[in-house]
Amino acid sequence: MSTNTARYVIAVLLADRVAILKDITAAISDLCGSIDGIRQTVVNGYFTVSLTAVFTPPKSAEEIRQSLAIKFAGTDASIVVMAHHPKASRQPVRGDRYVLTIVGPSHPDLLKTVTAFLAEKGINIEDWHLGSDSSGTSHIGEITIPHHLDLKQIQDEFRQTLAPMGLRSCIQHENIFRATNEVCAIRTLLEGKSHA
Amino acid sequence: MLRKNDILRTVRMLQEENLDVRTVTMGINLNECIRDSMAATADAVHAKIKSRAGNLVRICDELSTEYGISIVNKRIAVSPASILLERRNHEDALQLAQAMDRAAEESHVNLIGGFTALVHKGITPGERILIESLPAVLTQTHRVCASLNVATTKAGINVDAAHLAGQAIVQCAQASREQHGFAAAKLVVFANIPEDNPFMAGAYLGIGEPECVINVGVSGPGVVKRAIDRLIETHPDCTLDEIAEEVKHTAFRVTRTGELIGREVARRLGVVFGVVDLSLAPTPRVGDSVGEIYHTMGIRNIGAPGTTAAVALLNDAVKKGGSFASSSVGGLSGAFIPVMEDHALSKAVQEGTLTLEKLEAMTAVCSVGLDMILVPGDTSATALCGIILDEAAIGVINRKTTGVRIIPVPGKAVGDFVDFGGLFGAGTIIHINCPDGAADFIMRGGHIPAPIHSLNN
Repeated sequence: MSTNTARYVIAVLLADRVAILKDITAAISDLCGSIDGIRQTVVNGYFTVSLTAVFTPPKSAEEIRQSLAIKFAGTDASIVVMAHHPKASRQPVRGDRYVLTIVGPSHPDLLKTVTAFLAEKGINIEDWHLGSDSSGTSHIGEITIPHHLDLKQIQDEFRQTLAPMGLRSCIQHENIFRATNEVCAIRTLLEGKSHA
Repeated sequence: MLRKNDILRTVRMLQEENLDVRTVTMGINLNECIRDSMAATADAVHAKIKSRAGNLVRICDELSTEYGISIVNKRIAVSPASILLERRNHEDALQLAQAMDRAAEESHVNLIGGFTALVHKGITPGERILIESLPAVLTQTHRVCASLNVATTKAGINVDAAHLAGQAIVQCAQASREQHGFAAAKLVVFANIPEDNPFMAGAYLGIGEPECVINVGVSGPGVVKRAIDRLIETHPDCTLDEIAEEVKHTAFRVTRTGELIGREVARRLGVVFGVVDLSLAPTPRVGDSVGEIYHTMGIRNIGAPGTTAAVALLNDAVKKGGSFASSSVGGLSGAFIPVMEDHALSKAVQEGTLTLEKLEAMTAVCSVGLDMILVPGDTSATALCGIILDEAAIGVINRKTTGVRIIPVPGKAVGDFVDFGGLFGAGTIIHINCPDGAADFIMRGGHIPAPIHSLNN
């Protein structure tokens, strides 16, 4: 990174409404910032976004936070701006991507149990989604399982862990889902470079 | 990016709707195994099958774990055994079949196909030996399946071969009298036999196929039925073209699953991937029935006028979905109607709404033919030949595959119930109208010429 630039990680959380991203991107753009990574989602009516942006010339974290705060004045928006440290990135888990699904009645300790199970095995959670309806809850996790682990054993232990809670669970390679839902050549999935 | 609903839909198909890979079938060419003696040939056959298929089941089990999908059957299909039987005798034929059987057992596959003769234009001495050996082979082996091709659109119909096939069916049934004629359930008589069909009992490796190849058969009548159920729940007034569209989309997903597994198996075994055959192949389980799909579409009584149209709609939609999903679609790819293996079809026969004649009409628009049908034990070879000729005519004229797998059950009459157990299912002996009324026609023998539209070069 040039000394004439500064990169920040920015997170914003507030009650969802139309045009939040417009306000955020405008604030960053006004400070000559360029967004180079972004992920947004809405959970139960609350909007959250995490992004990284490079500012040329550099701006201070407080300057950026103030600029964003002006856009959301009068709300209880939570804004975090912190310097981006390249070495902060974790070592990627070397393994294959799997999809974990859990379906059944909701249970207060479920997420704690599942995340503890995965962490103990060194399995990284890449993404997680929880949905619920009248029939119960469904958890979908995208996880990376290290190559050295015995998949069958993981699956069996995972099923046994959740069965007493009345939950059905499954861990399957992501390609089965991509094959059934994406329009791309199967060969490209197996080569790990789908063009879908 | 995977979407939540897509993931849950796939999980539901796999866990609740019986989507599975019905068979991973390894094709193996045995022609290089010919030796000076049958003992040496049989040893070579056994060794080659073991060397090629030794890891098939282990790899399939690994993938089943990885992808969370059941791979129900692992099978082997070899090049036509008749090629190895030229200048051999009946004892040699049995010895060869036993070597195949032993290799299949030691490879942990449940069936091996390819005890096959292609006799649509003429019969060589080796092919005749094979046909005449069928009763011994199919009763003295456990896993060997046989097929005969008696007609093609290009060659016409070999009536003499069809008659021999009728005789072989009768003899197989008689030889397995204690098992209700079960040996006949392992013999299929084809017109336009596909060279890459992974489904038994008709699987064999065609002579134009690779030396070793993986072909995959996927099924999923339960998935298709539930898809139509959901469509009708949300759109009670949906039209038949909307149902066809839904079937097509579902067939796409099912086919993709098969190709994924097939290509992975082939890659890990270091062999060529051949085709994925999407065929709605039922099992006797409730929820895994093609007949239930017809019920869902509105055919209250299977066999009623309109049933053939329903079969045509389903078969066509399956093919269209499959062809979009993969460029490697082959085999039979359509809707099967194996009566004994489908509890809804079997019930329709029992109740008398589904007759042999109606089944024959349905085979004109489905992907196979008269499949797993029980007939009286005293049915003559001539009558069976007549049934084979009718089916062959449908196949030849319509440029499609048709097959006949009929079991004359010794000692049983129309209306009697027979249970083979397991995937072969159960059924009721069906009535044959005027069984020997065409005997004079059939006994003339010879050859029914190829149709005019075969002259297209």
